Amino acid sequence: MVSDEDGRTGRHAPPPGFWVRWSLRDLRGRWVQVVTIAVVVALGTGTFAGLSSSAAWRRVSYDASYRVTNVHDLLVSLAQNTTVDADALRAAITATDHPEWFEALTTSLGVSVQVDASTGTETILVPGRLVGVEMPSPARPIDTLSTAGGRSLRTDDAGADVVVMDASFARAHDLADTGTLRLGGDEEVPWVGTGQAPRYFLPSAEGGSGFGARGFAVLYTSLERAQAEAGTPGQVNEAAIRLAPGVDPDAARTELRRTLETKLPEAAAEVRRLSEERGYRVLYDDIESDQKFFTVFALLILIGAAFAAFNLTGRIVEAQRREIGVGMSLGVPRRWLSLRPLLLAFEVALIGVVAGLIVGWLVGAAMGSVTESYFPMPVWLRPFQLQAFLRATALGVALVVLASVWPVVRAVRVPPIQAIRTGPRTTSRGGLAPIVQRLPLPGSTITSLPLRDVLRRPRRTMLTVLGIAATVGTLVGLFGMIDSIYQTIDNGETELVGHVPDRMTVSLQTFAPTGSPTLTAIENTPGVGRASEGLRIGGTVARPGVDISDSNPLTNGGSADSNDRFDVLLDIVDLRNSVWTPTPSEGSLDSASPALVLSRKAAEDLGVGVGDTVQLRHPQRDGLGYRWVTSELPVGAIHPNPYRFFAYLDARHAGLMNLTGIVNEVDIEPAPGTDPTALRRALFRLDGVGSVTPVSDEIAAIRVTMDELLGILQIVVWAVLLLAVLIAFNSSSISADERAREHATMFAFGLPTRTVLRLAMTESAIIGILATVIGSLVGVGLTWWLVQRLFAETVPDLQLVTAIAPSTFVTAGLIGIVAVAAAPVLILRHLRHMDISATLRVVE
Amino acid sequence: MSVIELEGAGRSYETGGGTVHALADVDLVVDRGEFVVVLGPSGCGKTTLLNLVGALDVPTSGRAVVAGHDLARAGRNELFKYRRETVSFVFQSFNLFPGLTALENVRFGADVAGRPDALDVARDVLNRVGLGERVDHFPAMMSGGEQQRVAIARALATGNPVVLADEPTGELDYRTGVAILALLMEQATAGRTVLVVTHNREISQAADRVVELRGGRVVSDGPPAGGRRDVADLQW
Repeated sequence: MVSDEDGRTGRHAPPPGFWVRWSLRDLRGRWVQVVTIAVVVALGTGTFAGLSSSAAWRRVSYDASYRVTNVHDLLVSLAQNTTVDADALRAAITATDHPEWFEALTTSLGVSVQVDASTGTETILVPGRLVGVEMPSPARPIDTLSTAGGRSLRTDDAGADVVVMDASFARAHDLADTGTLRLGGDEEVPWVGTGQAPRYFLPSAEGGSGFGARGFAVLYTSLERAQAEAGTPGQVNEAAIRLAPGVDPDAARTELRRTLETKLPEAAAEVRRLSEERGYRVLYDDIESDQKFFTVFALLILIGAAFAAFNLTGRIVEAQRREIGVGMSLGVPRRWLSLRPLLLAFEVALIGVVAGLIVGWLVGAAMGSVTESYFPMPVWLRPFQLQAFLRATALGVALVVLASVWPVVRAVRVPPIQAIRTGPRTTSRGGLAPIVQRLPLPGSTITSLPLRDVLRRPRRTMLTVLGIAATVGTLVGLFGMIDSIYQTIDNGETELVGHVPDRMTVSLQTFAPTGSPTLTAIENTPGVGRASEGLRIGGTVARPGVDISDSNPLTNGGSADSNDRFDVLLDIVDLRNSVWTPTPSEGSLDSASPALVLSRKAAEDLGVGVGDTVQLRHPQRDGLGYRWVTSELPVGAIHPNPYRFFAYLDARHAGLMNLTGIVNEVDIEPAPGTDPTALRRALFRLDGVGSVTPVSDEIAAIRVTMDELLGILQIVVWAVLLLAVLIAFNSSSISADERAREHATMFAFGLPTRTVLRLAMTESAIIGILATVIGSLVGVGLTWWLVQRLFAETVPDLQLVTAIAPSTFVTAGLIGIVAVAAAPVLILRHLRHMDISATLRVVE
Repeated sequence: MSVIELEGAGRSYETGGGTVHALADVDLVVDRGEFVVVLGPSGCGKTTLLNLVGALDVPTSGRAVVAGHDLARAGRNELFKYRRETVSFVFQSFNLFPGLTALENVRFGADVAGRPDALDVARDVLNRVGLGERVDHFPAMMSGGEQQRVAIARALATGNPVVLADEPTGELDYRTGVAILALLMEQATAGRTVLVVTHNREISQAADRVVELRGGRVVSDGPPAGGRRDVADLQW
């Protein structure tokens, strides 16, 4: 400390400790607002930290799950319905130039099956996959089956009628660890446990059309049992390989591909790296896309918190105006005068972020629980995410303190005389109140008082309005996104179900020629009304000129998806059949030459319209096997289904694939009066039937999947709702403090408490209406951005419509207007117990 | 006819250090049309007395009856009604509504009192306090004296029979102060009971009666010492 000759310090202000003590006194004096604002900050930072943590947890849990199950590095998959002798496949793999690159190898056979796991309370008839694995397990473990309940497969299970059920499926249907199910053909098989293998951590039907674990059952059994089920003894269709340490996976893949093309050309084998597999990719990509949504919402909540902090600090500074003026007239430098409110803001932020640790922990726990139930991986880890919390803490403190700078700077910039002056502010000329003065308002001065008060301080009003609007905007954006998703699902349902709500698709276990006994049996099953045969294959569509020569959509699972090229499920059906056809929203289904019917999303992504040409990579039968070829086809029509991957071709043009007269599925319309479940069971028992799926089930599965996904967002919804109420209360509480003398004056003139309360509520309602209007507009924009930009980027397979349900605006109104208007009720006690004389005596 | 009757009225507060008697055992009767000045140094209980009469506070002992209302026994609703229809306040620090113009602030008083011709009354009263040209001005645009006159106009616009003024000239210059006093006395002449609290002994010279308080007790009650003087002759 510097002293001059008179012994005076050169600081011209009390020491820092003095300001800290004073600011702490302010903190105590306004504890209600301080607590409210701290909770708001806590919600913002806690949600941010909690949501960020979940991303990290998912990543480490997925890594650990893959690690403990000894996941493969390369996967060899044969074309659909193709098998080869297990020894031949092993021999072909080890025939590469560098067999020493392959540290471990195991073969398996996946067979499409129909699974009946119905319980006393639920009919569960779903397509599935019986995965036969080597028993005993290979010496070097690879793609281990991790047990979740019951027991795993044992060596003595080889060839036995025993399966282990996929844990995700069991959990989705709340099935026990053990039980008995039926496979197609009414065959009873016990499941002895539930578990997961890395190949099916995210189970979905082949070709990527499955929607979550609920509608697709993976069953693990011995290789011999699966071969018996498929009637292909000794045959396999997949091989998992783990590379020796240090081996370049790309080089190994290239060499293996080359070898397999030479050694097993008829198998159309594809070799993928783990990172190219659909399940793996979706799991990890989801983390990023989910995080984008969470970050947006957490930031919006933080912005709401910053507005609230800004409001509070601004008003505290206003309340300290005279004291600041006195300080200025005593010659205290402005920087010292600024210290007190800034310290207060810092202290509020600090309390907020410390409370945010608790909120973050709670949000994280909830997130972890929801995520864990949605992605039931073998290993779930939730280490404390210090970095996420530190980031949220820094962000929370910085936002609140920065939000306080402006009001503080503004307060210390005024001349001291203006700050000291008692009574209404000299700078204030009534804000926008003169406007109202010129408007002929009905009623007395009392009834017009709320509107005048709102307009008197337009800046302050706007800050409050914006704080609430940020919350309402977040709410509308969040709900709007959910509305849009469900509206899109509804649109998809309308298109897929059409006029036949009970329509079901029977998938065959293998390709069959028209008129084969299986098809005849299906079409002659009692209860079948009309039937339409079709062929579903995988394909890739691309803009003209884009190279898709490497694409094999049956096996690569869309690894190379982009908007220039992406995989489709191509249904080759009679587009004039009477059961169901896509609706041509543009163009015509009746084309003399081969033409594709694409979804609007597909056409938009490819930048084509009806009549334009696209490339289609598709299989073509060649002798006993298939080869992949690229054809150029015009777009014949556009259908309105929001799912990009649905594409159609008229069966008359199946010659393009050399598959004329070959089918693998049948669309069934039940005869009138038929019980759809009974028909489904009857079809299910037929030989050669892989699955029977009511179209409505597929939609229901999508809905359930979305429900589960959106369950995660419920946490954000609650945080936003709470935030809105807190901001409303905070605003009312601050207003009550500010208006204390006005309220006391009203009481002195005999206005009853209810009238004063009504005035406060009316004022809040006006603010609420403004905030709701602005917030709703922001929310509409936010919904559009979330749906059309963020969602389009993260879920390119789906064309979401932007649709905000009226109920969303009603909810926004309830929160933004009703809750905000009702918030002054919380100060009723304060009004009732007001010391009128003391309040009036207070000199500003 | 007596309007204000205080009988052994007292007001005490419990503090950490014991009981503080702001007002103790006050007997006071004020008739209709009287202009009474309550005099005393700071902290003697003047404002507490005013607050008791205005029903902003309740006596902890004794009785306070104003215009037939027993304020210690009255219920919450009766007190609100009493304040609306019986008394009107002029506050030392004005307590104007910053969002209302001068005219609207005054009209507020008339509205609260339920006067049907509130706007006309407000204009009339504002003219009488010399602010006919400032009706559309907000408090922030007015001087302290003008704001005080608006506050008095608001009290007068109620038309209530008892006017309570707490240091009405405390923040005013001499000229304005005299004008305000004259206005208040005019109210008494018109039949209203006016109770003015001040520490300015000079002002008490214009009153009908001077009640002097010390330490919360009435130490004297009677006409001004040396006889009543005209407002114009006062000096401070």
